[in-house]
Amino acid sequence: MAKIRQTESLQTPVSALIDVVFQLIIFFVVTAAQDKDIMDETIRLAQSKNSPAVEKRDPRTVIINVRPNGQVNIQLIPLTSQQLQQILMASVAKYGNDIPVVIRSDATTLFNEVDRVLQTIGKAGLYRVRISAEAVQ
Amino acid sequence: MGRIKEVEALECPMSAMIDVVFQLLIYFIITQKDETPEAHLAVNLPSPDKDAVQPQKKPQLLEIEVHPGQVLLQGVPRSVDMIQDTLAYLAKLDPDQTVIIKTNVMAKTSELVAILDLCKGVGFKKLNIMTLK
Repeated sequence: MAKIRQTESLQTPVSALIDVVFQLIIFFVVTAAQDKDIMDETIRLAQSKNSPAVEKRDPRTVIINVRPNGQVNIQLIPLTSQQLQQILMASVAKYGNDIPVVIRSDATTLFNEVDRVLQTIGKAGLYRVRISAEAVQ
Repeated sequence: MGRIKEVEALECPMSAMIDVVFQLLIYFIITQKDETPEAHLAVNLPSPDKDAVQPQKKPQLLEIEVHPGQVLLQGVPRSVDMIQDTLAYLAKLDPDQTVIIKTNVMAKTSELVAILDLCKGVGFKKLNIMTLK
């Protein structure tokens, strides 16, 4: 009777590798910033050495982005002063006039543009205004 | 001679899935960006409440003017370092003093933020912004 040779399998054990890769993917999906669509990535904030980074934010906070060319947007939607005022007034009607407003203005933006936004905020009856800066420790 | 049965391989085709998974991983690694820590510098605007009682005593005001490339403290041009020392001294005396930051419309946001940050750093709490046209 002929002797049958056993076939040896020479496969790389990939299941552990796939496990690790899946865990990495899950990590990236979960930690992908939820606010990314809200933050205007084109804006380079001025630096602040003395103020601590904000960890908790009021969920009612209205974030207004002001680009170097003066273009104003909320959640990347460009707005005119009138549209901005309407949005702010709608927020006031819904949540009251004590909601915080954060102005994310580029470091190179002229104050003239920020002033227009401040005036619109004032017209809407809001007064809790913050100017955003990059916290440098 | 006995008949040898062929052993059938019942393995899943993993290579295509691994390719896709690696592409996903590369996508997430490339698009991952560190979130910039942000500080919020609070400024005061006039309260919309017209019925609010106005204080009888006029508060003592500290005026800082921010112009493009120049800062004035109580009307006197100063360098930022000199202002820092003076503000630190004044803040020690009265941290509740109201600071009015008059900003020229042609000044950059970074210049305003630098002064706001300075005032906050030395301990002033009541920071107000006004516009110089």
